Amino acid sequence: MDTDVILFLLRLIVGALLLGWLAALFAVMWRDYRSAIQEAQASRRTYGQLIVMREIDGALLRTGEVYPLLPLTNIGRAPTNSIIVEDTFASNEHALLALRNGQWWLEDRRSRNGTTLNAMPVTQPIVITDGDIIGIGQIRFQLKLEDQ
Amino acid sequence: MITRTLRLHWDSSDSLPRARTERLLLLLGGAFMVVNLWALALVRGEPLQTHLTAFVVWVGCALVGTFALQRWLPRRDPLLFPITMFLCGWGLVMIDRLAPIFAARQTLWLAVSVAGLLATALFPYGLRWLKNYRYLLLVGGLVLLVSTIIFGTNPSGQPGTPRLWLNVGAVFFQPSEALKIILVAFLASYLAEQYPALRAAGLNTASSRLWLSPRIYGPVLLMWGLCVVVLIWQRDLGTAILFFIVFIALLYIASGYTLILLGGAALVLLASVVAYNLFDVVQLRVDIWLNPWPEADGRAFQIVQSLLAFAAGGVFGQGVGQGAPGYIPVVHSDFMFAAVAEEFGQLGVLVVVVSLVMLIARGLRTAIRQQRRPFYALLAVGLSLLIATQSLLIMGGALKLLPLTGVTLPFLSYGGSSLLMSFIMIGLLLRLSAEE
Repeated sequence: MDTDVILFLLRLIVGALLLGWLAALFAVMWRDYRSAIQEAQASRRTYGQLIVMREIDGALLRTGEVYPLLPLTNIGRAPTNSIIVEDTFASNEHALLALRNGQWWLEDRRSRNGTTLNAMPVTQPIVITDGDIIGIGQIRFQLKLEDQ
Repeated sequence: MITRTLRLHWDSSDSLPRARTERLLLLLGGAFMVVNLWALALVRGEPLQTHLTAFVVWVGCALVGTFALQRWLPRRDPLLFPITMFLCGWGLVMIDRLAPIFAARQTLWLAVSVAGLLATALFPYGLRWLKNYRYLLLVGGLVLLVSTIIFGTNPSGQPGTPRLWLNVGAVFFQPSEALKIILVAFLASYLAEQYPALRAAGLNTASSRLWLSPRIYGPVLLMWGLCVVVLIWQRDLGTAILFFIVFIALLYIASGYTLILLGGAALVLLASVVAYNLFDVVQLRVDIWLNPWPEADGRAFQIVQSLLAFAAGGVFGQGVGQGAPGYIPVVHSDFMFAAVAEEFGQLGVLVVVVSLVMLIARGLRTAIRQQRRPFYALLAVGLSLLIATQSLLIMGGALKLLPLTGVTLPFLSYGGSSLLMSFIMIGLLLRLSAEE
């Protein structure tokens, strides 16, 4: 083969290698940013939401308020709770939602007017799942768990 | 036995993708080198074996480097080492092409530099010593500087050229290169100690009298004085401006005062005006930067030829050994960027810029990850900014975007001490990136 032809081919290969180098650097950076995003999301990941509802004429309607679900969510009227309810039927420390061994538990903290789960009174700690409705005073919280 | 298996398992889950990335990139770099050396041998009509030494040394360095780092520093940044090796392999090819008599010497320097990188990266007490013995370091650096002023020589041996080198036998060493690292380490250590005071002052405007305390203007004036000394006694414009920009940036990052940036810019401007009026070198550089064309055959020959090289390169370049970058005087050290532009075109320029940017970005990322340890963060920022500023100065200079300053393009240009010190900087960054 002619030297010029070989040189031309070599130039093509050099160009391809330079482009390949750029692509490899890009791929590494891309992967790196992806993992950085995942890391960032993992550190502030949410477990789910509590959607506030109100019973009006027998129908449950959303009030628009939404609280994040924390591994230890306490509900009540006192300002120390993670969810503070303005309801005269709620006690200062009313109920507790807790994540234990991968399950969510609802516990009544000896409130005066009691806590309900799907309109049934809660007498002892009970496991709750997605879509359950927790009643405190006149307020209803719908549990919405995030897909794990 | 069980612990052994467990450790192996842990290693494979954590650090193997890193090693794979590094080796893939090194493989690409090696392929790039081999193709270019082959093309170079064809152009010159020489057998391929004449260029084999450089390649074998490069491959040896890459292999030893990647295995040693994987063995003792598995949590390092995976991009720093291969990008460094890629750029310096490219540099070896270009030096072989532009100044064949220097190729063997640069190959030797590469082996020394990789040894230096590994020593810095793997030595466990390096960072602690840099932090704790800063005044000793500073004194050592100043002694080096003074000894250059007294005993300095120039390898070319011509009178009137800047005498920036120290000479031991046949080995020439440029102390200002080592001074760069020493001063950055000193400043990082000093500022890390002052960090709480600096930050506290930033929060409270009432205590703005701290602004006037010597703990802030002291180092600035010291560094400014050093730069002036370098500038006046050595006519080393590039190093002086490089020092000063990096110091101002470091001080700004440590304290968060915007005023420092403005004040630094004002000082640079003031120094430039004074230097322009006092020194012929500076005047020449600025004049041919503003308008080189009237003297295209005379004093501005170099920069005009550089611009022509960029034009001749086009998008894909002339191919290695097939352009004519030899028209640019001292192309192998000051104008390596122009040579790359002519023979590898815009694509080559882009790859050089992207690779350097990646190096710097990884360095700054290391700094962000080490945020809680001010010394580590400031050292990483300082080293990254050294590489960044130096690259910007010489790339801008070769493109006539900035006045020309005689600094080398990191990793690519010919220059033993520059290569060694750049590698040691990367070694420090590797160590910093692996520290938990």
